[in-house]
Amino acid sequence: MIKKIEKSLETAIKKHKTGTVIMMELPAEAYFEANSATVKLLTGKGFEGVYVSFHRPFKSISSMLKQEGVNINKLIFVDVASALGGEIQEKTPRCVHISPEIDIDELVRAIYTSLDRLEGKKFVFVDSLTTMALYKPLSETMRFSEFLMLTVRKDKEKVLLVFNVAKDLAQKKFIQDIALHADEVVNVVK
Amino acid sequence: MIDAKKLEAELMNLPEGWIVLLETSAENALEAGLAAIKILTDKNYYFIVISASRPCSNLLSLYEKNSIDSGKITVIDCVCKSQNLNVKDSSNVLHLESVSALNDISISIGKIIGKIKGNKFICIDSVTTMLIHNKPDVFARFIHSVLTKMRINEISGLLLSLESETNKEVRAEIAQLCDKIIRI
Repeated sequence: MIKKIEKSLETAIKKHKTGTVIMMELPAEAYFEANSATVKLLTGKGFEGVYVSFHRPFKSISSMLKQEGVNINKLIFVDVASALGGEIQEKTPRCVHISPEIDIDELVRAIYTSLDRLEGKKFVFVDSLTTMALYKPLSETMRFSEFLMLTVRKDKEKVLLVFNVAKDLAQKKFIQDIALHADEVVNVVK
Repeated sequence: MIDAKKLEAELMNLPEGWIVLLETSAENALEAGLAAIKILTDKNYYFIVISASRPCSNLLSLYEKNSIDSGKITVIDCVCKSQNLNVKDSSNVLHLESVSALNDISISIGKIIGKIKGNKFICIDSVTTMLIHNKPDVFARFIHSVLTKMRINEISGLLLSLESETNKEVRAEIAQLCDKIIRI
């Protein structure tokens, strides 16, 4: 699985001269394993990234990634999970918190300003669009993905945008609509 | 019959704060659930069980028969009141209106975890049963919210699910939120 992820990422990075949008279809059973492998690969190749976490609050995701050998000093986290869960969010320099209403404009702004804080090669990693769609209307989820794609493609620097979706959810119409606009769709098998 | 050794090995090696989806067949569900609770209470975890399948009296009787220390368990019973039984809360049983009372379940979890010291495990028994009584997207949001609450409070979790009985899309939504999937 990890070799497939590595090969796909390398191919995508070499192939596209400007900002690249990748959609990764992952087995639900190995979702976090695949996520951490992707982030580890990218940070290992000198990328710094913005990790937009819908699944796990900052404390949990940063600790778990660290246990997997990821250098979390190369990451800024946008803790959407805590906001969605209505939980009080701890203040920390490596984490950007957003309001519980999950305003799309605020979220995109948080990602964009976090990118400015990073050096060198950059990526934006969204752990799950389908989890976002549980809380926001589909139109807002689509708007979010379109904003992000526009942001990475118009940026003069080469930013990699990675959307992740569970394989069994990849047939949802809105996911297929987003996949149509991605530069690469990577089907990861465990 | 379940592979009890495999289950024990899987549960004993879990890092702290991990949330597990335990998938099993309908025939093995009871045995797997009891075995998991026994393994973890023996490991000194305090268990909070959200019971959507069995009334508290039945559960507590099963725990006693299987030498599970009910002093280490709180049951959030979502069954009795929905059957119009006249029940009262006790020191280790909290009765809620029904399996659909997701907000109440979430609030109750918050209150209980605040009162208990030490390592805790929350068990949802079962995801499949709760889905019968709740819309899939509403239930997925509930699971996400409860799991987030658990992670922030560093509480481990066990979600019991009947393999092949759970809607594929909802199963994927829930599985991606879990740290490990165990099939017994």
